[in-house]
Amino acid sequence: MSSSAIPYSTIRMEGASVAEFSWDVRSPLDRALIVGPYGAQGEAGVSLTEIRNFDLVQVMARRGNAGEMMAAAKARFGVAAPETPRAVATADATLIWSGPDQFLVLSKDGKHLIEALAPGFAGSASLSDQSHARALISISGEKARAMLAKLSSIDLHPSVFAVGAAAATSMDHTSVTLWRGKDRDGQAVFNLLVFATFAESLWHTILDSAAEYGVTIGHSGDL
Amino acid sequence: MRITCPFCGERELGEFTYLGDAKPQRPAADAGEDAVYDYVYLRDNIAGVMSEHWYHGGGCRAWLKVTRNTLTHEISAVEAAAGAGAAKVGA
Ligand SMILES: [Zn+2]
Repeated sequence: MSSSAIPYSTIRMEGASVAEFSWDVRSPLDRALIVGPYGAQGEAGVSLTEIRNFDLVQVMARRGNAGEMMAAAKARFGVAAPETPRAVATADATLIWSGPDQFLVLSKDGKHLIEALAPGFAGSASLSDQSHARALISISGEKARAMLAKLSSIDLHPSVFAVGAAAATSMDHTSVTLWRGKDRDGQAVFNLLVFATFAESLWHTILDSAAEYGVTIGHSGDL
Repeated sequence: MRITCPFCGERELGEFTYLGDAKPQRPAADAGEDAVYDYVYLRDNIAGVMSEHWYHGGGCRAWLKVTRNTLTHEISAVEAAAGAGAAKVGA
């Protein structure tokens, strides 16, 4: 979520005018996302849901310390962090591979904030809070794969890209982290993390690609 | 052209950026001006098999060493460059 300053009062101070600001947390897709149907009429072939208010921390091993980082991850999450392009679900987080010796921790409700993770990874990994630096888009529906095929060169066929598969890749020249989540209503769910400042651009590209199938657009606070 | 990233698998060329010849090695501090000049400026124009640095910036952001035939574009080997994957290479 990006923050925008909204002046809500102006206080007169000895002749000078000083604006006070309140910081309004809002999604990078706040302007572009319009809840409801889009494109072709009838039953929507593609469902787009922006996930808001998540916590995201990048964990990167320090030189020569990948083993220690993996041990620290196991201690924290109870499962092994991914060492290949995969997304691993834990009890209350998802660990997503983002490159060699690095992964993302996606969670919500403050369960795995950077402050809480830092002590466990002290010395073995560098942590970086990405919570407000990315937008998270969940894509499903009967035509989700057909739509994504226009944007991505990754083979998303279920025989190749099963639940838990992940990829660090590009769509429309924009870096994304893509992974397949748990199926919903018997349908594949593709999750996409994109840099906040590129989110609006990619969102419009996705809408263009999805329009012919009919789209239903929404947002949610649930991972 | 596609490059098989050792970390990500086979990817399209658009995800990669070309740096150039992977052969030149930084000379020692006392190597002298000629060696530094050679390292910074002089490159072989290879028609054939060449060792190159590529960056998977549109993917895992690792530096790769690619062995490519400049006449046929055939890639015979791809490996992580020194330092790619903090823990495994060049540690
Ligand atoms: Zn890669």
